[in-house]
Amino acid sequence: MTQEAAYLSTVPVRPAGGLQERELLLTAANDQALTDELLGKIFHPPPWLDRSIVITGLLSLSLFGAIAYTLTTGIGTWGVTIPVAWGFAITNFVWWIGIGHAGTFISAFLLLLEQKWRVSINRFAEAMTLFALMQAAVFPLLHLGRAWFFYWLVPYPNEMHIWPQFRSSLTWDVAAVSTYFTVSLLFWYFGLIPDLAAARDRAPERWRRRAYGVFALGWSGSASDWHRHRISYGLLAGIAAPLVISVHSVVSMDFSIGILPGWHSTIFPPYFVAGAIYSGFALVLTLLIPVRRLYRLEHVVTTAHLEKMAIMLMITGLIVTYAYGVETYLAWLGGDPFEMNNALHVRPLGRYAFLTWVVVFCNCVAPQSLWLRFVRRSPLALFVLSLVIQLGMWLERFVLIVSSQSADFLPSATHGFVPSAIDYALLGGTLCFFCFLFLLFLRFVPFIPISELKALRLELRRGMHGS
Amino acid sequence: MAAELWAEFADPLLLERAIPRLRSLGARRFDAHVPFDWPALAVALGLKRPRLLPRAVFVAAAVGALFAVTLIWWTAARSYPLNVGGRPLDSLPTDIPIAFETAVLFSASTAFVLGLGLGGMPRLHQKRDVLPNFTRVSIDRFWVGVLDAPANAAAFEHAFREAGALRVVTLNPEQRP
Repeated sequence: MTQEAAYLSTVPVRPAGGLQERELLLTAANDQALTDELLGKIFHPPPWLDRSIVITGLLSLSLFGAIAYTLTTGIGTWGVTIPVAWGFAITNFVWWIGIGHAGTFISAFLLLLEQKWRVSINRFAEAMTLFALMQAAVFPLLHLGRAWFFYWLVPYPNEMHIWPQFRSSLTWDVAAVSTYFTVSLLFWYFGLIPDLAAARDRAPERWRRRAYGVFALGWSGSASDWHRHRISYGLLAGIAAPLVISVHSVVSMDFSIGILPGWHSTIFPPYFVAGAIYSGFALVLTLLIPVRRLYRLEHVVTTAHLEKMAIMLMITGLIVTYAYGVETYLAWLGGDPFEMNNALHVRPLGRYAFLTWVVVFCNCVAPQSLWLRFVRRSPLALFVLSLVIQLGMWLERFVLIVSSQSADFLPSATHGFVPSAIDYALLGGTLCFFCFLFLLFLRFVPFIPISELKALRLELRRGMHGS
Repeated sequence: MAAELWAEFADPLLLERAIPRLRSLGARRFDAHVPFDWPALAVALGLKRPRLLPRAVFVAAAVGALFAVTLIWWTAARSYPLNVGGRPLDSLPTDIPIAFETAVLFSASTAFVLGLGLGGMPRLHQKRDVLPNFTRVSIDRFWVGVLDAPANAAAFEHAFREAGALRVVTLNPEQRP
């Protein structure tokens, strides 16, 4: 009998609908033990953590080196040229932005829908959102060419009376991404304050008590503070929910307002949003499964959590598969020869045909394994699948972006894209920098929402005893 | 200013049951310090839904959207009109994305600032300095206080102890932060 099953056998079953809920917290520990255990993860970090932080920090230097080289030499160091003027950079931008969406989805949508399984994983996913957005922001900034003039995209009074061109989707991106980052940060920090107060009150060293004390802002846990906190948190969730939809919709408009075949389509906003949540859930699983194992958190992030996320993965995967079908069907139905050429020839049979079919396998075929319950409940299978889906989603963006530009209207403009070493360094560098930031988060921030977990514990107790 | 009577509980369910008893003895104004939030607490304490907060957030969203539309119109159509391929200098459909994002930014910032600020945060001084063992309130201790403890405070204290309080503390006005 596994540890999980042994615990479940000791817990009374709720008369109705309790089985799923009681699987969300598999511990008999009281509030103090639970708090000490979860805070202990940051007060006494595992020995591998500091080494990993140093290694990923050093590897992140490749990102800063590539950025410095690009800034001093120009984006001619990348593989982009005419006609493929958007290559790795915009692919990476769309991919990283998309990944962030799952964090806000878990925090905002699932909060509004009163889904209790969000409790153990929301902070984790929100942090992932923030760090993913930081990586995403690098690419359009560098793509400006003269990145040091990025502030020209902000309407500030200047002596030349020149303003940003608000009819351009580039300015929409600036507004959407900067708003998304700010709101995600506020949302994350707002939910974190009570746990920072717990860390302040429990930290063994004086410097930690002071540091957490500053960030806890004097939280005293008064009932009126909690009451206001709950209402503000709900308001922030209500605000963040449409924001999730809007951000990737705006990103998709970068493409759909263009006239290139394969881009000029009204399906793009919902198609992009579903793909974003799909890839985001995949990354949550990629990060969560090893952390859950390394930190021995199986009783807090349970198999039920993994299964719920697997179901979300399956649903969003089906939406993405449907979108692929509709995209191709509309190209054929519309009768435009260039759209038909792109959808029916260039992508499935042309220069990037292999990648197209890899995308179909990764995003449409592989997730069908999630119909099987043992796959949904197997951490190893989900971990492998999450990597497959991320590869598929990155390649999807690559094929979408590059194939349309490489074969548009004129045969003479047909030209492929070959990434340069700097392109690879930027992609790999952002992956390392993301891991570096994430490990720092695990090192210093209570990454499991302790107060919410204690509230969940009370709710389960109340349900089990019928009081 | 009346003295306050505070009681410490180890279990939120005991605290929840203590409040109606105190209310039946004549207590009217309560406060509590607890490690986490649960909806029944606000109901038991009789906390009202704040009216200012959601309204302020809505107004901030409206101001944000209006600000963005006005700014875009003024910069594109008034300050520096630029003809791009004969398109209109300003049109509402192209204003929508930025107006929406600005509305979200203004309203979320307002929810954050007022959500903390209306309760007096950030604060440097709090009850932790006067109630014993108060640091455990963020961990596993539940304090509830009667803010208008009158002359029959002894009855309140008895009720607290009967309800399972671990300790009962009287805070005189000069002790309060």
